[in-house]
Amino acid sequence: MSLGIYKGIVKPITSGLGITYRRLKHKKVTVSYPEEMREQFPRTRWRHFLTRYESGLERCIGCSLCAGACPARCINVVAAENTDEARYSPGERYAVRYEINMIRCIFCGYCQDACPTGAIVLRKNFELADYHREDFIYTKDRLLEEYPGQSDEPYTSNRKEWAEARADEKRR
Amino acid sequence: MAAATQIETVTITVNDLELTVPKGELIVESVKRLGFEIPIFCYHPRMKPVGMCRMCIVEVGFKQPDGSVRKMPKPQAACTLPASEGMVVYTDTEAVHRDRKGVLEFLLVNHPLDCPICDRGGECPLQNNTLFYGPSTSRYVEIKRHLPKAYPLSKYVTLDLERCIQCGRCVRFTEEISGDSQLAFRFRGANMQPSTFGLMEFESKFSGNVIEICPVGALTSSKYRFRARPWDLQTRPAICTNCSNGCNVWMDYRVDKVVRINGRTNEAINEEWTCDRGKFGHDFYNSPDRLNVPLVRRGTALVETNWSEAYSDCIRAFTSSTNTAGLGGNANSNEDLFAWKKLFNEGFKSNELDYNWTKVAPIADPTHAKPSIASIEDAPSILVFGSSLADELPIVFLRVRKAWFKNGAKVIVAHDQATDADSFAELVLNYQPGTEATLAQALADAKAGKSVEAAAKLTGVPAEKIAAAAAHLTSSTAIITSHELLNRPGAHDALGALKGLGELRNYALNANDQGAAEIGIGTGTKRSAQILADARDGKLDALWLLGVDPFEVCEDHDLVQAALENVAFLVVQAHTKNGAFPYASVVLPMTAPAEADGTYTNADRHIQRFGAVLPAKGEAKPAWKAFSEISLRLKPGRPWFNADEVGRALGAEVAAFANHSFNQLPTEGLPLV
Ligand code: SF4
Ligand code: SF4
Ligand code: SF4
Ligand code: FES
Repeated sequence: MSLGIYKGIVKPITSGLGITYRRLKHKKVTVSYPEEMREQFPRTRWRHFLTRYESGLERCIGCSLCAGACPARCINVVAAENTDEARYSPGERYAVRYEINMIRCIFCGYCQDACPTGAIVLRKNFELADYHREDFIYTKDRLLEEYPGQSDEPYTSNRKEWAEARADEKRR
Repeated sequence: MAAATQIETVTITVNDLELTVPKGELIVESVKRLGFEIPIFCYHPRMKPVGMCRMCIVEVGFKQPDGSVRKMPKPQAACTLPASEGMVVYTDTEAVHRDRKGVLEFLLVNHPLDCPICDRGGECPLQNNTLFYGPSTSRYVEIKRHLPKAYPLSKYVTLDLERCIQCGRCVRFTEEISGDSQLAFRFRGANMQPSTFGLMEFESKFSGNVIEICPVGALTSSKYRFRARPWDLQTRPAICTNCSNGCNVWMDYRVDKVVRINGRTNEAINEEWTCDRGKFGHDFYNSPDRLNVPLVRRGTALVETNWSEAYSDCIRAFTSSTNTAGLGGNANSNEDLFAWKKLFNEGFKSNELDYNWTKVAPIADPTHAKPSIASIEDAPSILVFGSSLADELPIVFLRVRKAWFKNGAKVIVAHDQATDADSFAELVLNYQPGTEATLAQALADAKAGKSVEAAAKLTGVPAEKIAAAAAHLTSSTAIITSHELLNRPGAHDALGALKGLGELRNYALNANDQGAAEIGIGTGTKRSAQILADARDGKLDALWLLGVDPFEVCEDHDLVQAALENVAFLVVQAHTKNGAFPYASVVLPMTAPAEADGTYTNADRHIQRFGAVLPAKGEAKPAWKAFSEISLRLKPGRPWFNADEVGRALGAEVAAFANHSFNQLPTEGLPLV
């Protein structure tokens, strides 16, 4: 074996494999999504939910403040008046229509900041892909779905607590 | 007005800047001249100051002979403080800031925190002042007062007592401006509440204005309630087409629906007020009966078609005979009316067009409408003759009332019924119905020193009263009549007699009646009633209804029905299905006033532009466009492309409209030449 072949081929290959070998001992960074999900940061903001009070009444009062704050102008709120026969939220006003265009949304969370009642919140559900454009218009019905394992807190500020809650959720 | 009189001025100092202002001007106004702002709630430039809210407090002092300034020990309300020589005003000192914070904190003690659901939120003076001048947090932890919310004061106005800051603007509006005194305060102190007497319905022809002037969301519009927040809205300038006054308004729409109309300031027309008819009369824009495709009659049914086929049907009917006519009468722009006349005269070789539905024709002389509405204010005496102004021309009524309230004009009302103007009239001449001409002549006779005993007996008005009224009449008396008078017997005689007694105005009633008259519609040989009668008798081959429902404007419904049934061919061009719709041979959908560019001539010959606010519904077209397209089929040529071109063509043909086309008009409009 000439020196040339050793220097030009064998040495680089073995040293390269050496890096591979050393890497094998490191911890894995990829996860096998979708079976496994990566832990998310506490303030991650994805899909919106409209929350309710414990009594079952909607928190949203149809005030349009979220629509006013939204830089992408992707929220449409149409309000109406509660009556004693048909009561949706406490007080005089509720939203008959509430729509978010998820294609336009930039997930800035300004809507959540603007909301005076904590009705609209962005949670960690990021699997938002869909087949039809129309399906990206999240209507009030869809937004009122319950977030699995949700707490009333918009997000948990303590990372550890959150990880525990998440683990709990997984166990269930 | 008399020649400019010398105005006495004084020199004051505002924030160390010297300023010369008319003596007695309110400080709150004076500081505006320098661009300073004083926050206010209860002060309104068109009403008397009352100093109820204390928001406008400033520090005031006086220059001493030695040059120093001696401040008053307490802050002063700028809205009730007249300027006087040597006054020194500070609007921006530490103390003023502290005091304003205090005032706002007091006001907010009782004000609920329901901005998110309040219709005023986002355009609320209380929110704004709190943001700019108020404390950023609240120290008030006790329970706030609780009062009825959303109390329906009338079908237009909703009262939320919790939100009221007791500024008294609404109460003063009904006392000083509209004059119906429907609102008053009851109870005292923190419990003070504006309300109607005995909580009865708030009945006013101008109730909508209190919604706009209330500095909080205490008085809100029942129609607009929860329809939108200010940031959801697009706002465009518009002209009200509900009557011939042509009030300037803002039209607020959301997506493509009109949701609200607010007053827009134009001193020559409506100042800043609106009447309820205009402010709340916008439902038709969103009506499910709007027409949006052309229809033609095939067999017994009206079927949808395209414009081309609809035009062909019209052309066939209107060119096969010259015995055709057209009736208009509602709110069409000058452009529409001009294009209509041109099509009839040149294309259909007919001039039988009329827009006017009164018993006798209006007097052709345009000077009858010339003295401006604003000039009523300066008249020393006003004679309202045969017109219930508040119903017919509500904003003219406000001018007349202002002339009396502010300038002490003597108002004489002559009518066969009680009218709203009676409340402030110097003299009310309540005559027997039908004796208008006699009374007008009697006034002229009394003025000439002749005896009016016979007339007094006929009209039922005592001779002394007639004489007393005549004594008030001078050449500068504003004599106000409306086209309503033309429905009374002897209308022309009455107008003739009145003409010599002062500055006579005979105001038209519908949005563009005056424009139609100027353009020369109604110069045919037949008047509207005659045209209908001909149609009934089968003497008319084709009839064109432009934006008018004859059932609405003509009292004789049998005549209308027979006419529409018997006319061989009927074109109904309208924006909404109307009474004539079932009889139509062709239906042409037309844009409503806010859906196309156009100009409108109001009762005092003021021409104003109304740019398209909303898109046209479906295939609807502005009427002038349809006329222009029909003309093209009859005689090829260069079509008109926009309202401005039509307006220029109109200006070239009718001298009064020269240089008054859509693009040539300023925002505030121009009087016709
Ligand atoms: S997250 Fe941001 S962009 Fe998305 S809806 Fe809320 S405000 Fe709009
Ligand atoms: S989600 Fe919140 S901000 Fe948006 S309309 Fe409802 S209450 Fe108002
Ligand atoms: S209702 Fe409005 S305008 Fe009337 S007193 Fe109260 S705050 Fe003022
Ligand atoms: S604005 Fe002067 S006291 Fe209200």
